[in-house]
Amino acid sequence: MSEGILLEISENLQRGKAKVVKELIPQALEAGIDPETILNDGLLAGMNVIGAKFKEGTAYVPEVLVAARAMNQGAAMLKPYLEEAGVTSIGRACIGTVQGDLHDIGKNLVKMMLEGKGIEVIDLGTDVAPETFIQTAIEQDCQLICLSALLTTTMGVMADVVKKAEEAGIRDKVKIMIGGAPVDEAFCELIGADKYTPDAASCADAAKAFLTGNA
Amino acid sequence: MTNRERFQAVFNFELPDDRLPAIEWASWWWDRTIMEWQKQGLPSDLGFHDVAPYFGLDQHYQFWFAHRSADCPQPKSFGGAIAEDEDEYEALLPYLYPESSGDGAAAGMQGLKAGHDAGEYPIWFSMDGGFWFPRTILGIENHLYSFYDQPELYHRILDDLADFQLRQLEKIYSVLTPDFMTFGEDMSYNNGPMISEDSFDEFLLPYYQKVVPFIKEHGTKVIIDSDGDISKMIPWLKRAGIEGVLPLERKAGVDVNALREIHPDFLFIGAFDKMTMRESVDAMRGEFERLLPAMRTGGFVPSVDHQTPPDCPMERYKIYVEMLKEYGRKAVKLGKIQ
Repeated sequence: MSEGILLEISENLQRGKAKVVKELIPQALEAGIDPETILNDGLLAGMNVIGAKFKEGTAYVPEVLVAARAMNQGAAMLKPYLEEAGVTSIGRACIGTVQGDLHDIGKNLVKMMLEGKGIEVIDLGTDVAPETFIQTAIEQDCQLICLSALLTTTMGVMADVVKKAEEAGIRDKVKIMIGGAPVDEAFCELIGADKYTPDAASCADAAKAFLTGNA
Repeated sequence: MTNRERFQAVFNFELPDDRLPAIEWASWWWDRTIMEWQKQGLPSDLGFHDVAPYFGLDQHYQFWFAHRSADCPQPKSFGGAIAEDEDEYEALLPYLYPESSGDGAAAGMQGLKAGHDAGEYPIWFSMDGGFWFPRTILGIENHLYSFYDQPELYHRILDDLADFQLRQLEKIYSVLTPDFMTFGEDMSYNNGPMISEDSFDEFLLPYYQKVVPFIKEHGTKVIIDSDGDISKMIPWLKRAGIEGVLPLERKAGVDVNALREIHPDFLFIGAFDKMTMRESVDAMRGEFERLLPAMRTGGFVPSVDHQTPPDCPMERYKIYVEMLKEYGRKAVKLGKIQ
């Protein structure tokens, strides 16, 4: 019974059927499945499948968006139960598109994928100043700073964030990850960031590896 | 050989007599680049179309169709929606699809007709495509949800768009036949298409099948303008009657030589890695060497794979233009030996 309903949750999430997912979650709770199992083996398991398909190029941006929406709506239903049971996220990240850059679809995809790995995400939006990333990381105790840029003219701001993290004395406490059209592995190394990933799903995998000590 | 004849030769997968066309395909220069170059001596009184000849590039003229009236409501933030559902789209209709759009383009073309007929320059035009236009209405993110949430609205927008465009096209073809056109789409990114082939077939294919045949009947080459890695979509585009793509962004991993092997009958414009222009003269030469195999095949106009970036010094850009011509001559020579 429990495996069946969890599989149904996962499969409907993958198809972006948020309404069905929301109908299945109370049924799973009534069947006595604990909320953490519903989260991990239903919602996050489904999101992992979509993430893997996205990474291999067999799922596309709209499919990720509707799946992530189903996941978020399902997770919101589970939230009070998870809090009651003392379940916490595996870590916290602040994310944003760097100063001067207003593009946010890539950043939003990364946010959804990170949440799909059980990571709490503080979304700073677009056109974010280096100081804001650092201040947020300190105040919110973030272990990850995720930076996005789409323009050749703004990618340099990523180097400023790394520098500000050093100046603030938090460089050894946070991992700085970068992504976006103009950046690559060599640029990551050049500016002293910790990780470049080519897509949102890879970013989420790498973030989880950092937070669980498997990097 | 005239400037326009060079284009026509390449578009017919032949090689021109002397060299390939030498153009900056994105005729709307990046304003920050122009501002930087003005600090480096570029005359500040150069008009929009004066920049290319100033650098010794071949002239070409691009026209756009406005798809919204000047007083159309603007999104509240970058990438935001101006209509989120069918009711809001209905309310927006008085601001969409202005009939004066084609009249303006036709009048502009009339003024350039003599030079075009004489072969002095090619003329091309751009229209919003079936991916791009709904995005400007629905907003970037909402647009992507709409494939699942509002399929009927999506189809309706594309029906309206196709009808509008066909009406405007009648107007310009009464004046002259542009050499090529682009559908502005930007439907791919670093890792490939933004949407699946199923979504493409369901939503975009019927739209293209309505508009593309009319354009091709007149002899204008039909090209898709999409940043990012468009490679995987080329077979889909071919099914829609599309004849080429630009700008083939190298940073997104697009390899024009590999594409030429797979698609010997498809037109390419762009492919020159703009990032090398920020680096050095040697890096630019290396990039031209990389492009040479595809340049020799015809059907390919090498050009910057988006826009020349502001951190390419003007003196280096002048060297780039010389190299563009040098390798354009070399490609023709080598291609004819082949």
